[in-house]
Amino acid sequence: MIAYEKFTLDNGLTVIVHEDHSTPLVALNILYKVGARDEQIDKTGFAHLFEHLMFGGSINIPSYDEPLQIAGGENNAFTNNDITNYYLTIPSQNIETGFWLESDRMLSLAFSEKSLEVQRSVVIEEFKQRYLNQPYGDVWLLMRPLAYKVHPYRWATIGKELAHIEDATLEDVKGFFKKWYAPNNAILSVSGDCTLEQIKSLCKKWFEPIPMADVPARTLPVEPVQTETRIQEVEKEVPNSHIYMAWHCCSRIDKDFYATDMLSDLLSRGKSSRLHQQLVKEKNIFTEIHAYMSGDLDKSLFFIEGKLVDSITMEDAEKSIWEELEKIKTEIDERELTKIKHKVEAYLEFSEMGIANKALNLAYYELLGDASECNRQAEYYNRVTSDQIMQVAKNILTKENCSILRYHSKK
Amino acid sequence: MLDRINPPEISIPNAIHLHTPQSYKLKNGIPVYNIYEGTQEVVKIELIFAAGNIAAASSLLATATNDLMDEGSTHHTSSEIAEALDYYGAYLHSENGVDWSSISLFSLNKFVSDTLPYFQEIITQPLYPSKEIQTYKQQGKQRLSVNLTKVDYLARINFSETLFGKNHPYGRVTKPEDYDLLDTDVLKEYHQNKYKNGLKAVIVSGLADEKLIHKIIDTIDKMGLKNGELPSIALEKYAPAKKFIEKEDAIQSAIRIGRRLFTRHHPDFIAFSVLNTILGGYFGSRLMANIREDKGYTYGIGSGLVSNNDDGYFFITTEVGADVREAAVNEIYHEINRLRTEDINNEELTLVKNYLTGAFQRSIDGPFALAEKQKMLLLNNLEINYLNEYLGKIKAITPQKLREVANQYLNDIDLCEIIVGK
Repeated sequence: MIAYEKFTLDNGLTVIVHEDHSTPLVALNILYKVGARDEQIDKTGFAHLFEHLMFGGSINIPSYDEPLQIAGGENNAFTNNDITNYYLTIPSQNIETGFWLESDRMLSLAFSEKSLEVQRSVVIEEFKQRYLNQPYGDVWLLMRPLAYKVHPYRWATIGKELAHIEDATLEDVKGFFKKWYAPNNAILSVSGDCTLEQIKSLCKKWFEPIPMADVPARTLPVEPVQTETRIQEVEKEVPNSHIYMAWHCCSRIDKDFYATDMLSDLLSRGKSSRLHQQLVKEKNIFTEIHAYMSGDLDKSLFFIEGKLVDSITMEDAEKSIWEELEKIKTEIDERELTKIKHKVEAYLEFSEMGIANKALNLAYYELLGDASECNRQAEYYNRVTSDQIMQVAKNILTKENCSILRYHSKK
Repeated sequence: MLDRINPPEISIPNAIHLHTPQSYKLKNGIPVYNIYEGTQEVVKIELIFAAGNIAAASSLLATATNDLMDEGSTHHTSSEIAEALDYYGAYLHSENGVDWSSISLFSLNKFVSDTLPYFQEIITQPLYPSKEIQTYKQQGKQRLSVNLTKVDYLARINFSETLFGKNHPYGRVTKPEDYDLLDTDVLKEYHQNKYKNGLKAVIVSGLADEKLIHKIIDTIDKMGLKNGELPSIALEKYAPAKKFIEKEDAIQSAIRIGRRLFTRHHPDFIAFSVLNTILGGYFGSRLMANIREDKGYTYGIGSGLVSNNDDGYFFITTEVGADVREAAVNEIYHEINRLRTEDINNEELTLVKNYLTGAFQRSIDGPFALAEKQKMLLLNNLEINYLNEYLGKIKAITPQKLREVANQYLNDIDLCEIIVGK
C-alpha cells in the first residue's frame, strides 16, 4: 500500500507525492507521455535519441549531470514504445536541485549541434552493442515487423535502421520537443523524505511558470486482425537454434490484462511453471523457455521464446509448445491458480521496495488512469478465475493469430 | 523573477552514523545479524559460506554445487521443491563469488513458517540427482557457447587470466569440458565439505520481529552447520601483458585495461577508489566525458576497483566501434596520463566527493542495501566504524595525494591491456 497525495498545476502538470521518512533520500520521477509509437515511419528511433539529448544541456543550465552530482544526486532514463521516463535520486536536503534541473529541461533545451552530433554517435554505438554485435541481438528487430503490419509497434525503440538516427537534424529534434515535451503531457511523482506542502511550493516555484502546449491528439493506425500464421526463417552464426512465437493480445488497460498476465505466469513464472517443468525438465526439448506479455498501452504481444536442445528439430520444438498451449486452454486447477496469486502478491510487495520504484509505480499507474490503481493491483489479480484465463488462452493462442520466428544456428 | 541560472543552495553531510545491527549467535557461535528496516512485510535470509571458487579444485564445482542445491532433497524432488516455494510466492537466490558463496530465501513474512522447512532441507539434504545435473550441463554449455561469441565476455576472461594466472581460481577460465567433470558424487562431496562445514554467518533483513528472528535462528540451528573459513592460495607474481585477440566478424571491439592491485585493507585503498571514480567510476567521469560525451566512440565506458580476499584489481572496460578502436585506446591512456601529470582542480574534486557522499547514502538505503553493507564488513573483518569513518576519509583526500597514488599505481608499464575484436 502506497499512501500518496495528488494535485494538478495550472499548466496541466500532474503531481503525485508519497512521503517516506524512513530514508534520507528523495526520488523524482518525470514521465513524458511520448514513446517510439509516436514516431514517423521515416524517423524511427527518435524518442530514444531524444532521451539522450535531454542530458545535453537545457536553456539556462549548460550541463544537467554536473550540478546534480555536486548535490550528491544520480539519475537515469529509459524509453519504450509508449513513454519516456526520467528519474533521479538525491539527498533530501538538496531536493530543490532536482526541481531546478527538471523544470529547466521541461522549459526548453539548449539544442546544441555538438550535443546532437555526439549523441547520434553514442546511440549508433548502442545500436551496435545491444542489437548487432550480440548473438540473437536482432530478434526484436525481426519479430516486430513480422507481428505488426501497420501499428508503429512494428519498429523497436532503438529504431528501424541506423540511417534514421544518422539523418536526424536539429530541426527534427526541436520539432519533437515542441510537440511532446510539455507540462500537460507529463506526470511528476516525488517519493521519499519530503512533505506535501514542500512539494507544492517547489512545484509552484519551478514548474508552474512553464507554459502548457497544444499536445496533438494521438491517432495511431489500428493493427488489423491477423488471419493466418506468419513464419520467418533466419539462419545465423549463433551457437544454438531458438524459436520465438508471438500472438496479438490485449493492451495494458484492457480488463483482460490480468488474466492474460496470469496466463503467462502459469506458463513460465518460476521453476514450477508448466513450460519449464514439462519442456525443460520432463521432455528435455528446451534448455530454457519463457512466456510473457509486453503489456503496452495499445494492443500488445504475448510472447514465447525457447532455446532448443541441440538434438531437437524446430518442428518438434514448436509442436511441443502447441501441446502445452492446448492443455492450458482446458485445465487449470485451483492450487495452481492460488500459487500464481501468491507469486503476484510477493512480486508486488518486493516491487514496492525503494523510493525510486515507488515513484515510478505511482507515475505509471497515473498514466494508466489513476495513481490509486497502484494499490488495487493485488485485488485485480485476486479476482481472476481459471475460466477467465482459459478463455483468454482460447481467444489468443491460436495458429492464425501467431507469428513465428525460427532462428536457426548455422552449424 | 525566478533565477534559473544559478543553482539552488546545497548541503552535503560530513558524517553519517550507522548503528551495529542487532546480532545473535547460533548455538555453535556463528553470528546472525538482523537488519530490521523497511516498509514491506517481507524478509530475506542469507546464509554465507566459505565455498566460492577459491575453495574448489575445478572451475565449475563451486557454482554447480550452489546452483543445484534446490534440485531435489531426501524428502522432495526438484519439482516438488519448486512447486512448494512458488506456491508461497517465495524465491531463492544463490550467489557464487570468487571467495564466498551464499544462498538466500526471499519470503513474505506471513509464509515464512511454510517456506523455512524447505529452505532447511535444500541446504542440509541436497541429493544432486544425475538427471538434474544433466539438464544443468546442457543449459550451462549452451550459455557458455553463447558467451564465447561475445567480445566483452572474451575480454573479461582473458583479462582475469592475465592478471591472476590460469592456475589460481581468480584467473581460472571455464571451458566447455569442465562441465563433464560434474557428477552426483563430486557435488555431494563439495557440499559436505564446504557447505555443511563452511557456514560463515547469517544475515536477515526486512521486517523480522523478535518472534520471527528467533524462529529463523531455531531453524538454522537445526541445520547443524559448522563454521568454515576460506583457504588462501598463493598467487604468482603479477606480470602485465598486452594481448590482441582478433574476431573476424566483430562490429565492435571490447577493451579491458587494468592491473592487479590491492585489497580493501591497503592504506591507499580509499585514495585509489576516489581516483577510480574520477577516471571512470560515475557518469560524469573523465573517460565518459571524453570517450562517450565528446567523441561518441562508445555507448559506455567505466572503471572499477575490486577487492577480493587474496588480492584486488583495477579495470577499465568498454566496447567501441571497430573503426575507432585505436583512437579510443589512445584516449584511455591519455586520461590515465593526465592523472599522473596534472593536479585535479578543486571544482572537480569537490564534485566527486559530493557524488561519492550521495552514492554512499544510496548504498545504505533500505534493508537489503544495508544487509549488503553488513556483509561487506563481515567478510572483510571490518567493524561498523569503517563505514562511519568513510566519508571523513574521502573528504580528507587532496589533489597531491591523488597524483601521488596515480604515479605509484598507474604507470603504463604496469598495466594489462586486452582487446578482443577488430
